[in-house]
Amino acid sequence: MALLEARGITKRFGGIVALDDVSLLLERGEAVALVGPNGAGKTTLFDCLNGVRHFDIGELFFAGRRVDHMPAYKRARLGMGRTFQRLELFAGLTAREHLMVAERVHRAEGRLWKDLLGRAKANVPVERVEALLTDLGLKDVADDPIESLSQGHGRLVELGRALVQDPSLVLLDEPSSGLDTRETAEFASVLIELRQRGNTAILLVEHDLDLVRRVVERIYVLDFGRLIAAGPVEEVLSDPAVRLAYLGDIA
Amino acid sequence: MTQFLSYAIPGLPYGCVFALMAVGLVLTYQTSGVFNLAYGAQAYASALIFYVGVNAGWPSWAAFIVAVLVAAPLLGLAMDRFLYRFIRSAPVLVKLVSALGMLIAIPSALQLIFGGQQRLAPPSLWLPPGSVYFHVAGDAINGTELSTVIVTMAVVLLASLMSHFTQIGLRMRAMAESPRMVQLAGINSELVGVAIWVLSSFLAGLAGVLLAPLFADLEAMNFTDLLVAAIAAAALGSLTSLPLAFWGGIGLGVVQELLGGYLPSGSVLSSGLRPALPFVVLIVLLLALPGLRERWFHDDPLAACDPPPPPMATTIGGYGFGGALLGARWALLVVFFLSCMTWVPGNWTFTLTQGLAYSIIFLSIVLLTGMSGQISLCQASFAGIGAFTCAQLAGHFGVSVLLGILAGGALAGLVGVVVALPALRLGGLALALATLAFGLLADNVGFQFSWSGNGDSGVSVPRPQLGSLEFTSGKVFFVLAFFVLGACAMVVLAVRRGTTGRELAAMRGSDLAAQSIGMNLARLKITVFAVAAALAGVGGALYGSLQGTVGPDDFNSLLSLVFMVVVVTTGVYTVEGAIEAGMAYVILYQLLDYLPSQWRNLFPILFGIGAVTYALHPEGLVEWQKRRAIEIVLAWRKHPQAVG
Repeated sequence: MALLEARGITKRFGGIVALDDVSLLLERGEAVALVGPNGAGKTTLFDCLNGVRHFDIGELFFAGRRVDHMPAYKRARLGMGRTFQRLELFAGLTAREHLMVAERVHRAEGRLWKDLLGRAKANVPVERVEALLTDLGLKDVADDPIESLSQGHGRLVELGRALVQDPSLVLLDEPSSGLDTRETAEFASVLIELRQRGNTAILLVEHDLDLVRRVVERIYVLDFGRLIAAGPVEEVLSDPAVRLAYLGDIA
Repeated sequence: MTQFLSYAIPGLPYGCVFALMAVGLVLTYQTSGVFNLAYGAQAYASALIFYVGVNAGWPSWAAFIVAVLVAAPLLGLAMDRFLYRFIRSAPVLVKLVSALGMLIAIPSALQLIFGGQQRLAPPSLWLPPGSVYFHVAGDAINGTELSTVIVTMAVVLLASLMSHFTQIGLRMRAMAESPRMVQLAGINSELVGVAIWVLSSFLAGLAGVLLAPLFADLEAMNFTDLLVAAIAAAALGSLTSLPLAFWGGIGLGVVQELLGGYLPSGSVLSSGLRPALPFVVLIVLLLALPGLRERWFHDDPLAACDPPPPPMATTIGGYGFGGALLGARWALLVVFFLSCMTWVPGNWTFTLTQGLAYSIIFLSIVLLTGMSGQISLCQASFAGIGAFTCAQLAGHFGVSVLLGILAGGALAGLVGVVVALPALRLGGLALALATLAFGLLADNVGFQFSWSGNGDSGVSVPRPQLGSLEFTSGKVFFVLAFFVLGACAMVVLAVRRGTTGRELAAMRGSDLAAQSIGMNLARLKITVFAVAAALAGVGGALYGSLQGTVGPDDFNSLLSLVFMVVVVTTGVYTVEGAIEAGMAYVILYQLLDYLPSQWRNLFPILFGIGAVTYALHPEGLVEWQKRRAIEIVLAWRKHPQAVG
């Protein structure tokens, strides 16, 4: 059974149909991109997949279970991580603390009674967290307040916060937006390495087609809430309908 | 039918006033994003100025011009220019706290200027209240009622004509749809914003002057109740629709009187439920309209274009100063304790013990607002639940007072769960409104029964006893309070230092991301809310036992608001902040006692203005100064010559 399967997802906002009968499939360890012009419904689809928004019609399966009505936090515990197009960081915590919180939630360590009895050790360094900080190149800024980090570092912290939970799927929402070329290249190498390890499937929303080509093998194209194409990257990107909708030319 | 009409018609004047207020609230909320909790205070301001004017012998048209056409718009203008325009993109919590500061400061400032004496029989605006003009369905329509309805209709007619046929009206309506869109159309939205604040403030002033004669005396608290009625009416229109808010207000006024007519007179239901109707409506609306949230928070189609709110001006958390500072704190604590045991006079020991009890209540605000970013406007009510539970258990069942204090905390925690549940999904503003409504409901109904707060006579809470040790003397009770506060502070510190503290910080930082890493926010929020309510309950019970006799007035909603403002001003992020707030609260009060009684109003004014600085110094003024002092010392230690 596929890792993630969405069947006929439809989401309306008043009169606007944001997602119209969208179906997609993701196997374990696979990297797939979702592209489309601004306003196509990509982030809305992510919100529906991850559960911070509910869709009106359709079915959603993840890790062998039907998750339509499962709240976001339970989907996360099943192994679905995500990052956000507009950074969603925890103001007041450091980069390391971001990863520590996520790691502890993952191990279901947070219990009020443990805190009250002094059983929880919030400050003990965790091997997994330290390793990930090194991998993501965040070691130097790990103890700085999160507000002082650059956009690029912020995106890496979001990725680290998702990865520290060993998810079977990460949803990455425009990770390269706001990054310069060097930061984008670094981010790409992190993603490629993640893919090569093969434990984590990636669903990537991205406008930077170079990044898309380097990371994924398959691609879905969304336009006005409808899937207009799907298939291997080069095949889809040379499709005239896709070029018209997305790139705005048919040359 | 005749009977129905005879019950419904007296409700119309109330409905008109509610409607005016609701329309003004929705106007400013839609256009500036500020939910103006100070709106009732604005209405009070105009009513008071009108009263003072008329009693000084002015003709009522002159008093009306000064109170409603001059003072009210000026107040709105001042609030917008000096405060609200700076916090338009601030987080919900900051906006609420600033508005709360104004709500506390404005009535006190007025009483400082005009004197705080009781003001009976507020004058009617236009037609003499005594004369009866005609009868409808058996109701005698007097001058106050008639003029209220006529004036409201005239103002609403004028306002809708203006909004449909003038340019500024069109722009105001556009602003209500989307301030961003209006800016993009090349319109000076600041100017339109000012016009809206002036208009809404005028509506508040008018409502205040119209409402005042419907009460026996002119009292600020009546206007807070009026605010909740207006909020409920505005919620009927989802806080977005002006016509719905208007008709909601009228409907609420009428239904209130209908209930009074049809419910058996003299029963608790009719004496309690009728005034409580707006609060009940508000809570039911929060429960029943799950769609309310999306409409409340995603109203501007271009809202997403706003930059995210700037990070709070400071990073929160400790700074390792090493052992010296820690040692100094312990030394201070020991000196404080020993002083109270030895040379401090008895009345001051009593005051300081009160401070310890308040500190426990304030700890609940630190936990809830400072650490988890939620706002509760009914912590005094939870304290009351604690105190009354303890009193009733001790009085009727002979339960030991120490156990009673714990039981009071536990019951307050349980009630906290019930209050938090409905508002949970709705976030900041809804929780604030629901808790405000709950607090007023407790004032008017919950605490009035003989089995709870026993109304005006109150209940007596004995001093605790442990074996042969009696806590009757001031000093012994001080020791008890000292250690109870210590235990409560340890609880909050443990939460803060543990995983839960981190999770709370995460939740405060980003709701979305916290869910997406698998945090069960509903459970976390309820847990924190319950623990906070329980802390307040313990503090309240201890306070009750110290005072000996307490009643609903010791724990009314106004105090809840004052508590919030005091803690936010002093320091809402730290345990120390709560204790400083508790001590500052009682010590200042005691000191003001030495001044003429009018100057007591200085106290709420100071803290009200302090709360307004929350946007700049979210850590609190006292904590901010402390931090600066510490930073100077640290800098001096590093470079002794650099600091003169």
